[in-house]
Amino acid sequence: MTVEQDCVALDQFPVGMRVLAVDDDQTCLRILESLLHRCQYHVTTTNQAQKALELLRENKNKFDLVISDVDMPDMDGFKLLELVGLEMDLPVIMLSAHSDPKYVMKGVTHGACDYLLKPVRIEELKNIWQHVVRSRFDKNRGSNNGDKKDGSGNNEGVANSDPNNGRANRKRKDQYNEDEDEERDDNDDPSSQKKPRVVWTVELHKKFVAAVNQLGFEKAMPKKILDLMNVEKLTRENVASHLQKFRLYLKRISGNQQAIMANSDLHFLQMSNGLDGFHHRPIPVGSGQFHGGAAAAGMRPFSPNGILGRLNTPSGIGGVRNNLSSPSSGMFLQNPTDLGKFHHVSSLPLNHIDGGNILQGLPMPLEFDQLQTNNNKSIIAGNSMAFPSFPTQQSSLPNNNNHLVLEGHPQASPSAFPGHQINKRLEHWSNAVSSSSSTLPPAQNSNSIIIGHQFDVSPLPHSKPDSLEWNTQNASSSYSIPFFYYDSSQMRQSGNYGPTTDAMLSSNPKEGFIVGQQKLQSGFMGAEAGSLDDIVNSTMKQEQSQGDLSEGDLGYGGFSSLRTCL
Amino acid sequence: MNTVVVAQLQRQFQEYLVSLYQQGFLDNQFTELRKLQDEGTPDFVAEVVSLFFDDCSKLINSMSRSLGRPESVDFKQVDSGVHQLKGSSSSVGARRVKNVCISFKECCDVQNREGCLRCLQQVDYEYKMLKTKLEDLFNLEQQILQAGGTIPQININ
Repeated sequence: MTVEQDCVALDQFPVGMRVLAVDDDQTCLRILESLLHRCQYHVTTTNQAQKALELLRENKNKFDLVISDVDMPDMDGFKLLELVGLEMDLPVIMLSAHSDPKYVMKGVTHGACDYLLKPVRIEELKNIWQHVVRSRFDKNRGSNNGDKKDGSGNNEGVANSDPNNGRANRKRKDQYNEDEDEERDDNDDPSSQKKPRVVWTVELHKKFVAAVNQLGFEKAMPKKILDLMNVEKLTRENVASHLQKFRLYLKRISGNQQAIMANSDLHFLQMSNGLDGFHHRPIPVGSGQFHGGAAAAGMRPFSPNGILGRLNTPSGIGGVRNNLSSPSSGMFLQNPTDLGKFHHVSSLPLNHIDGGNILQGLPMPLEFDQLQTNNNKSIIAGNSMAFPSFPTQQSSLPNNNNHLVLEGHPQASPSAFPGHQINKRLEHWSNAVSSSSSTLPPAQNSNSIIIGHQFDVSPLPHSKPDSLEWNTQNASSSYSIPFFYYDSSQMRQSGNYGPTTDAMLSSNPKEGFIVGQQKLQSGFMGAEAGSLDDIVNSTMKQEQSQGDLSEGDLGYGGFSSLRTCL
Repeated sequence: MNTVVVAQLQRQFQEYLVSLYQQGFLDNQFTELRKLQDEGTPDFVAEVVSLFFDDCSKLINSMSRSLGRPESVDFKQVDSGVHQLKGSSSSVGARRVKNVCISFKECCDVQNREGCLRCLQQVDYEYKMLKTKLEDLFNLEQQILQAGGTIPQININ
């Protein structure tokens, strides 16, 4: 990281500030890149939100600021914004051609530190570095109990330029500070304010939630939570900021839907966790997708649009790791009725599809078979390697948020599993997905699955960059997208939809899934049969040959084309 | 280098460029784009507008498909296409194209298929017209460079 201590005057900053620019519109992206270069920032661009998330997750310290468009096909910019805020805690600037105040408001509530209108002018970009400084400054202030290091003039200047912001931050921090006067274990030395980022794994988050529940949601204070969690090297600040995010998150989702938020913590975790674990094999995201679809089918009662959107993202990303439950997959399941949402998810597989062999390589745990017997149509992870030890904490989530009904999934499938089973199922499901083994048991209908109970410690594989190669291959990319897409819509209705769906729903999940996938793939390629498909394909080919931003384009092109087909 | 020729070409270039602004093809944003071009990125403007025209073509095609069948028009898709087109046209300074997008959006909002089709046609016409104009402009630029001259930076008010 180049830009470090905000308290210390940085010689070059803002020169060389590392910006990640995300916009599906290649024209705008190119212009933005050039403008940012003009401001002497270091720029990385991508036209896919998914790719952006991967880049960010790959190395949390690689970027200082993210600028993202709002309307993107593969993922809603606001979702990306939330995820980045939760997982990486980086300042995000929204960009849009929409000047409608409600969009601006949405940006603000989702945590954007600024909202710019297109066409962007260079004057506006010249000052965006202030957001980076401000965010660091605020963080330092928060962790700096009493010794506010007002440090260099830079900080003073920045802080003063936005007094309200600073004050608000201070208030929040003070709230947290109250509790820990007796313990100043945090670095009083401002120069060491920069702490290594804590990764909120599922386990850790479970502990956190358990502690919060134990203390009572309203009364939970960071210090006490920290004590209860009893985790080494976790600081009060880590807990405080996580708690803050958690609260915001809950507030937001409670406002969004009536859906049971049992999975909220998982969902939340997924979002905030950043699927750090997902840096392993390129697990086909498709599997996640699949699950998503399957789950969706079962998750009828759920209609958490907000959640789904959110879930989609993380799930897609984190969804496919071998042996790991992919909470994300749960996410897909979330909103069966919201087809539209799935398209977000569909983008996920883009990154992960590994030649279409999504489920391959994932071990299929025995438990999965048990799951299969469930009537639920929830996604069949099948490969649950290990049952996540879902803590009861989930169910004990306080009810101040009505959605926080973890355990109580109406559809909790009977079988041997306790309330958490759903989670486990989800996990397995994700595992299964990643293992590719084919065993795709019929989707189980547990709502909980949707909620991403899959939270499990098992790290979800992070699709490595090279796993993204598929993007450049038309077949695979399009494959993944349609696959998912069919999935979600069809799973819901259990009709005979695409090959995939059928496969998925078939009693022989294993075969079905794989076959389905294959079919889908060929089906897609073979779309040339239909006239509409011809157009789509030829358009896509044109698009591909146009070459620019191949990854993104292909994925996008494929996706949009596919959608049209549907 | 034939300075007379260069001067002549430069004047031609200037006049042509100014006329494009006056006729409303281009606006200030295009000026900003030209400013971003420098020795390090001599083809920046050409590159960006080329991307833009690609986008236009793609978007128009997809919107055309969406508007294809009267009984099942996906206005949402059309709206999204218009939105994107508006964003990119405003970013490159393609004023006329952008203006059509504004009307286009209105038709879309009220789900007026006929209106949308008209706007679509107009957008198609405008972007192609602009493309031709800019090609001519770039040609002039090339001629200037080949004659050994430099491309004038023109301030449009």
